[in-house]
Amino acid sequence: MKALFEVRKRRGLGPVVALIALLTAAQVSANGAIGEHVNNLQAHLGQYSEEVDWLVAKFDGVVDTYEKQGQKAANSNALPEYWEEVDFHAAIETNHVPTYASIWQGIFGVKQAIDSGAPAAKVREEQKKLNQALWQGLGAVKVAAQYQQKGLLAKIQTTEAEPTTAPETLEDIKHRLDRVVAKFAEQLPEAATTIVHDTYLHRFEGVEGALIEQDAALVEDLEKDFNVTLPLALKGESSVDDVRKVVEAMQAKLDKAKNLLVEAEKKRKKVF
Amino acid sequence: MQRRVFLQSLLAAGAFGLIPAGRSLATTPPVAADTLSVDQLPPMEGDLTLYLGRGEGGLYENVLEAIRQRNPKLNLQIRRGVTAALANTIVAEAKAGVRRADVFWAVDSGAIGMVADAGLARPLPADLTGQLKAGFQYPQWAPVTGRIRTLPYNTGRLTPEQIPDSVMALADSELSIGWAPAYASFQSFVTAMRLLEGDRVTAEWLRAISKRAKSYAGELGVVMGVERGEVDLGFANHYYTLRLKSGKPDANVDLAFTKNDAGCLVNASGVLALSEGDLPITFIRYLLTREVQSYLASEAYEIPLVNGVKPPVGLPPLNRVSPPRVDLTQLADLRPTLNLMRNAGVL
Repeated sequence: MKALFEVRKRRGLGPVVALIALLTAAQVSANGAIGEHVNNLQAHLGQYSEEVDWLVAKFDGVVDTYEKQGQKAANSNALPEYWEEVDFHAAIETNHVPTYASIWQGIFGVKQAIDSGAPAAKVREEQKKLNQALWQGLGAVKVAAQYQQKGLLAKIQTTEAEPTTAPETLEDIKHRLDRVVAKFAEQLPEAATTIVHDTYLHRFEGVEGALIEQDAALVEDLEKDFNVTLPLALKGESSVDDVRKVVEAMQAKLDKAKNLLVEAEKKRKKVF
Repeated sequence: MQRRVFLQSLLAAGAFGLIPAGRSLATTPPVAADTLSVDQLPPMEGDLTLYLGRGEGGLYENVLEAIRQRNPKLNLQIRRGVTAALANTIVAEAKAGVRRADVFWAVDSGAIGMVADAGLARPLPADLTGQLKAGFQYPQWAPVTGRIRTLPYNTGRLTPEQIPDSVMALADSELSIGWAPAYASFQSFVTAMRLLEGDRVTAEWLRAISKRAKSYAGELGVVMGVERGEVDLGFANHYYTLRLKSGKPDANVDLAFTKNDAGCLVNASGVLALSEGDLPITFIRYLLTREVQSYLASEAYEIPLVNGVKPPVGLPPLNRVSPPRVDLTQLADLRPTLNLMRNAGVL
C-alpha cells in the first residue's frame, strides 16, 4: 500500500480567480498560488501520481457512501474541496487547460448527479468520466515533464507576459478561450464571461485591423463569436460541452487567421 | 449648402478598387527636406528601457525590431502593457524613488499627459519638436502618429449631402448611429467635446444620440455594422474604414468628416523621455524619421505627424480637414468624462 502523501490545504478562491486570470500569462494557474513545483514537474511526478490515486479513492468514497447511505451522508461538497487540496491541480492547469476543464466538468458531473438524487448507476457513470479525465491529466503532465526536461516548456511566470507578434497574440487568445471553458466547467460563468470580454478588448482588437485586410468575413465571424455567440452560451443553459464546441469552432477560425497573418507578414514592407 | 470634406479618392471612380485586396496601400511618398532619414541619425549604444503601450498588433514591434537590428550595440529592454496601466506604474515608481523606464511610448496622448503632469518628462530639443506639424508641437513629449475621428457612413443608405458637418447637429438628425462607448478613443472624443462645448451640452448630446444609437464592443465593430447597413453612420477612428476597404474594396462604407469640432479630433500616440542623456532623445528621433513615419502610415494607416510625409492613401492631408484646437494632454483625465457618460446612462 502506498504511503499517504502530505496534502497541503489550498484556499478556495472563487471570486479571486477571475482577477488572477486577467493578470497572468498563458500557462499560469488562476486558482490559488502557483507553487514552484510547476517548473519542476519531473521531480514531482511521483507526488502527482499519489495525489491522483488519493483523489480517485476519495471520490470513490463519496460515491460509495451515496450508494449505501444516500444523498445527505455523501456530502457532495467535499468533491471540489478534495480537488482544491492537491498540487496536481496547478500542474494540470498550467500545462493542459482543456483536460483541466474536463476534470472540473467531471467533478460537477458527479456532484450534480448526487445532488439530483440520480440512480447509483448514473453516478458511477459520471465517476468513470471523472477518473478518465484525471488519468488523462496525469498523462498530460508526464508528457509536459518530458518537454520541460528538454527545455521546451517556457517557465511558468507569475507576471503577465505580453505576446509581441500577431501569431503569438492569436495563440494567446486560443489559450484564453481554453480558460473560458475551464472557468465555465468550474461553474464560474461570470469569470468566464470576463475573460471573453477582456480577451476581445486587450488581445483580439490588436490584431483584427491587420486581419480584416486579409479576410473581412473571418473578422465578422469572430466579432460575432466574441460579442454574441460565446457570451450567450455562457449565460444560457448550455452544458460545458456546448461551450467547448463554440470555443473549438473559434479556435479553428483563429488558426486560419494566424495562417493569413503569417503570410501577410512575409509580404510586408521593411521599416528601413 | 453644407460643406464637408470627403475622401475624394474613394469617391473617384475605381480609385479604391484598383488597390489589390490584402496588400498595403501606400507607395513611397515624397518627403520635405526637413524630415530626417534614419541615415542621418547616429547609432545608438547602451541600455535603454522602453515602456510600450499596446497598439497595432505587431507593427510597433516591427519598428522596434528594425531599430534593434540597425543598432546592434543597443540593449533595448521593453516592458509592454495597457497604456494607462504603464502610465500609472511610471508615476508610482517615481513616487517610490525608482526610475526604470527611460522612454514611454503610449498609444494615446491622455496617458502621456498624466506622466507629464507628474513632472517626469524631460524637455525635448526644439529641433526635434520642430519636425512635427504645427499644432502637434509640445515641449515635453512628441506625438508619433495620429488618428482622426470620422463618421463612417453606409453608402447605400446615405448620400454625403445628408450628413451634417457638425457633430453636435447629429443630435437633432434622424440618423441611426453606431458607437462603442466603452472604447478608449470614443471616451477621448467625448472628453474633447466636454472641453470644447461644456459638460451640460455634452451630456444633452449623449442623451439625444443614445436614443438612436446601437452599441458595439469596438470601433471596427461599428464600421462593420455601418457597412452591413445596421445603422446609417457611426463614430470611429479613420483607420478602421480604410482597413475594411482594403480587405473588401466594394464595401458599402465611406468616410465623412465634421468641421472644427470634436467630431474630427486628431488624437495621437505619443512618446516622452524620462531619463537624462542623449540615448532616449535619439530613440525618439528614430520614431520621427520619414522611414518609420511612412511605415506606420502605409502599414497601420496612421497619420504621420512630421512634416513632409504623406498620409495613408484614402485620407486627405490634415490641412484639408479642420480638426479642433485641443491640447491633447488635456484628454488625460477621463474620470469626469466617465462620470458624465454614466450619469447620461451611456455607460
